[in-house]
Amino acid sequence: MSMTKDLDFSTDKVLAKEFLSNFADANGEAKYINILQEVANRRNRAIQIDLEDLFNYKDLDEEFLRRITENTRRYIGIFSDAIDELMPEPTEAFTDDDHDILMTQRSDEGPENMDGSDPLQKMPPEIKRYFEVYIRASSKGRPFTIREVKASYIGQLVRISGIVTRCSDVKPLMQVAVYTCEDCGFEIYQEVTARVFMPLFECPSKRCVTNRAKGNLILQLRASKFLKFQEAKIQELAEHVPKGHIPRTMTVHLRGELTRKVAPGDVIDLSGIFLPIPYTGFRAMRAGLVADTYLEAMSVTHFKKKYEDYELRGDEEEQIARLAEDGDIYNKLSRSLAPEIFGHEDIKKALLLLLVGAPHRKLKDGMKIRGDLHICLMGDPGVAKSQLLKHIINVAPRGVYTTGKGSSGVGLTAAVQKDPVTNEFVLEGGALVLADMGICAIDEFDKMDESDRTSIHEVMEQQTVSIAKAGITTSLNARTAVLAAANPAWGRYDLRRTPAENINLPPALLSRFDLMWLILDRADMDNDLEMARHIVYVHQNRESPALGFTPLEPSVLRAYISAARRVSPSVPKELEEYIASAYSTIRQEEAKSNSPHSYTTVRTLLSILRISAALARLRFSESVAQSDVDEALRLMQMSKFSLYSDERQKSGLDAISDIYSVLRDEAARTNRMDVSYAHALNWISRKGYSEAQLKECLEEYAALNVWQIHPHTFDIRFIDA
Amino acid sequence: MVGLPYDLVANPLGAVRLTFEKAVAASGFEPDSMDWAPVDLFRQFLFDQGNLSQVPILNGETIRWLRPKTLVRFRGMIQDMLGNEFYVGAYKDGSVWRTNKFTDVSQFPIADSSADMRVWERRLLYCVPVPGQNSWTEPASELVLNRCMDFTSQQREKRRRVDDEGIDHMDMLVSDDGVQGSPSTKKMKEDEQPSVSSQNHESITESNCPNMSIVPGIDKDSLPCLVKIYDSPESDLKLNDVFEFIGVLTLDSELQADKDHDELSNGFIEDALEHLPPNKVPRLHCLIHKKLAASDLLNCSPVMESKPNLVKEIRDSLLRHLTAVLGNDGLAAHLMLLHLLSRVHARVDNVAVGKLSLNLTCLSKESASLFGGQLTHAFRNLLPFTHSIPLTVEYLNSVSLAPKKDYETDRLITGVLQLAEGSHLIIDETKLEAGTLNSVGVENARLLKNLTELQKVEYDFKYYKMEMAADVQLLIFSEGKSNILPADIVIPYQPSSVGSSEVVAGQALEAWRWYLASVKSLPHSIDSEMQKVLENDLVASRQADRSIGSHDFNRWLTMGRLMSASFGETCLSLEHWQMVMELERLRRERLK
Repeated sequence: MSMTKDLDFSTDKVLAKEFLSNFADANGEAKYINILQEVANRRNRAIQIDLEDLFNYKDLDEEFLRRITENTRRYIGIFSDAIDELMPEPTEAFTDDDHDILMTQRSDEGPENMDGSDPLQKMPPEIKRYFEVYIRASSKGRPFTIREVKASYIGQLVRISGIVTRCSDVKPLMQVAVYTCEDCGFEIYQEVTARVFMPLFECPSKRCVTNRAKGNLILQLRASKFLKFQEAKIQELAEHVPKGHIPRTMTVHLRGELTRKVAPGDVIDLSGIFLPIPYTGFRAMRAGLVADTYLEAMSVTHFKKKYEDYELRGDEEEQIARLAEDGDIYNKLSRSLAPEIFGHEDIKKALLLLLVGAPHRKLKDGMKIRGDLHICLMGDPGVAKSQLLKHIINVAPRGVYTTGKGSSGVGLTAAVQKDPVTNEFVLEGGALVLADMGICAIDEFDKMDESDRTSIHEVMEQQTVSIAKAGITTSLNARTAVLAAANPAWGRYDLRRTPAENINLPPALLSRFDLMWLILDRADMDNDLEMARHIVYVHQNRESPALGFTPLEPSVLRAYISAARRVSPSVPKELEEYIASAYSTIRQEEAKSNSPHSYTTVRTLLSILRISAALARLRFSESVAQSDVDEALRLMQMSKFSLYSDERQKSGLDAISDIYSVLRDEAARTNRMDVSYAHALNWISRKGYSEAQLKECLEEYAALNVWQIHPHTFDIRFIDA
Repeated sequence: MVGLPYDLVANPLGAVRLTFEKAVAASGFEPDSMDWAPVDLFRQFLFDQGNLSQVPILNGETIRWLRPKTLVRFRGMIQDMLGNEFYVGAYKDGSVWRTNKFTDVSQFPIADSSADMRVWERRLLYCVPVPGQNSWTEPASELVLNRCMDFTSQQREKRRRVDDEGIDHMDMLVSDDGVQGSPSTKKMKEDEQPSVSSQNHESITESNCPNMSIVPGIDKDSLPCLVKIYDSPESDLKLNDVFEFIGVLTLDSELQADKDHDELSNGFIEDALEHLPPNKVPRLHCLIHKKLAASDLLNCSPVMESKPNLVKEIRDSLLRHLTAVLGNDGLAAHLMLLHLLSRVHARVDNVAVGKLSLNLTCLSKESASLFGGQLTHAFRNLLPFTHSIPLTVEYLNSVSLAPKKDYETDRLITGVLQLAEGSHLIIDETKLEAGTLNSVGVENARLLKNLTELQKVEYDFKYYKMEMAADVQLLIFSEGKSNILPADIVIPYQPSSVGSSEVVAGQALEAWRWYLASVKSLPHSIDSEMQKVLENDLVASRQADRSIGSHDFNRWLTMGRLMSASFGETCLSLEHWQMVMELERLRRERLK
């Protein structure tokens, strides 16, 4: 039985040697031989054997791979033996340390010192090794959660994700104990495999045994081999815990080069061997009934939380590709934001664009143009503003939610504080600084402190926070997209007053927002009925009525957005004219009206560009298309209408005749008699009208013989009068 | 009864072993592939043959005479989950397969070869008596007459019952401020018991009861228990669920002695179990577990079919009782009844559907302690689990409301708001005075607000927080409308007389308890015609008053459900809906 086992292991050692010497990575380099050379040159200690490499190895032996995964600890030994045999000579000179001097001495003394075949006197290979071998599980597929690791995985290599909750100090762990005998002078070696060991007291060498000298052994700490050792506890991530359960924990042992890699609070991906702790002594005799288990770590990877560092998993890439092919991605993604909040399609679209953002631009003269979109939601209490904010923060990989009143003394930007111990002044970043490269949602924006509101001007345009206090003058990065929610000046929107009075925010601040929405709670019979139906349905069926679509998972959203953020689209030459004319039209319209309620400035132009770029990013396109600009203009128009829709009604034009005048003006401007339906839709949607209204208009005026409508394409042809 | 080869109550492990051997033999000596279910045997014995009452209940008192390795029952709430434990489930002793299932210590020595060993796993649950449990829910203790007990303890048992009754009557007159969930009954019992039972202790000791050594450290009213769960899906047992566990009791003090020996092997991270020495916390190897619903807690459920007129009678009498306790405020009593029947049916988009918290306003400090005391007392007799919190600035600043994970000991430290499903919580805000909240206080206020609004409590795991669903009936006393605790119904309280000191007959109490427990779990539906009526009513009211929102709609529909349930009906009728609207109208009038 044991014979065949040994045989297996020796053939596996041959397999291991072959793999190490023959494996070639993607560049054709002999990856492991290179690592071995580095180890021989004392530049590296860790030899990490990637199971993925074994899998990609040209002579893949699946049985061998399986044996390694299921009995990993044994195979670390086998690989170590194989490496011992393969270890090349150093190609660089390095200074000997104590260890080397000891080793030379030992090998010099070797022949005369050896006393027969006493195993305790044979130098264990461990003591000579300078390297540490780790076998790393494949990073493909989903890691296990702690509760998925069952008894059947004992001894196997597993990959687990979790959060570190506790870490011990790094301590030395004895690997080989070396003794010298007072009587015979021999060096005696004892390999230590467990955390506890029983030291030897009597010399076991042949000479001492035959002489019955009971030679006194002295432990030689300098000659013994120690390993760095650290113990940690990991805990399941909150999202992996089933409802109504408590997160599980697991003990992790980190050795050698893996120590000092984790700190409490780190979210990590671990591969390691799931092992039971062998009981020693009395407890083992009592039947070893209960076995504690731990994970012998083989590799540690930290999770990243920034978009830029987001690594797509295999299936996500496919999913994104499929979504991108699907034409309706803009609607699909925006509907999946806060699906439980009814309606508000355009607001959700704007929020999606806020998540995507536009690329930052740095001009040649050093000027920076921000790419982050800022949005302000204003509205009556109870219209789900805060819920929208919180949902966006959940989707964003890095987001900070705060209220204008800010619960900490640091407030929104930053504060200088005196360290109570050292009496030194230290800078503490506020929410905006913490949300650098992410999103900062500020609720109760209107109730913000005056000081914070001043400094937010700088954050929103320059994207920095400057501090000049207590001898500290510095500027902190705050490259964050601001999503603000505010109540109207008197708590509720007062229709008798002008919008400007209601909004109650200084124009300087308002102009920094790319988009601004007013969400009013209007007395609308349809909406009320919708709400009543919804609630009755919930009470009757104990679930939400079906949405009519399946919202995308937040993780998919996140993955798509992070993929989109890598694209940096530019505006093609031929569009520049188009954008410029659209901008000048807005300026002219504003100049015409005697009570301008918006401030169209260069900032507006930048906003149009930003929104268009974000839309192009969503299509994974490297250049902005005209449709992107049109949609950007439409969103801006819609946001304006949410504020001033009442005035539009006051102006006396109903929607239908307004649409007609828009179409007629456009046709006159371009000096054409034919207007295609797509164009018409484009123009009127920029003015904030719907397709249904357009159709109504087409029919009504066709009946008046103003124009002819093509029966299939709905293209318009004006009839010459 | 057919003679069983083993006495399942006194020697359950014998039966476990016997079935194991049979199963091994049947499967051709391959423990991996065998189909072994000793649980069926127990299920049959306990439920089909109705022997459940023979199984003694494990609690702070019975533990004195219960023998280890016998079958016991434990009722408690899952307070913490300690994860998995791996154990040698089956091993070969010579040529015979043995099992260690349902024990802590193996019967026979285990050889050191891993080939003949199967490692199995079990889950550890830390259970405690349900917080705020009222004495009437404790199962009748005559069942405890167990073989181990001698004459003395039987006498004792009788004494106890007499005592209990005495206390029950005294209870009716006691009105205390109810600082914590621990009711006065318990305090009084503790005061009395030592004198009654001290001599008995000794006699039990003499009659060689094995567990004497463990008694001193145990708080008699809160005996925790470490339950070991075998082969049941994880989703069956959730945190804060109330369960009855039937299984094998082990209290091996030898295991504890081992601890000294492996101090060395334990690193800095201590085993959670070390903080639960077996002499303080008994182990129960669970064979059968059963989730306890409110109706399971009724002591002797009266054989009452839910005849409509009977339900109506009980409803009327209970309403009369509540009206009397509330000093003749009929409207408050009506709302109170609905409040007592509420529970969370479903969670849809962050809304806990079915909750109905009640805020009695216009109470001064004095009247709150008077009526509050009476109500607390009345609820204690009606509801299984009751609590009350006096809200003061100091309290908010110091108490830990949310459970918190302690990574030093790897345990979940319970908080005041770790409550079993269906608990009733009175919060007295009248005691609150102006003051400054520190960060703990702010956090606690937020927790209370979340509990009232969402029926969720955030458990603090230091690195992240986890929301746990709660189902707690909240009753708030305050002077004005409470802003810390935004309740569903706010009603200015207008008593016209000082509450009654009426003594309630035991029978009526039992009927009310039965009524509250069973009516609460009735199903509910709204037919399509009624749905139309509701929709129209809701829209009309919103058109009339813009301040009415989804919050109010939810409240009305919940009230409608509870109103029809309170009459024992499962379908909302127009009449009951109109009653709800009428209650709402009266309430709004009072608010003006």
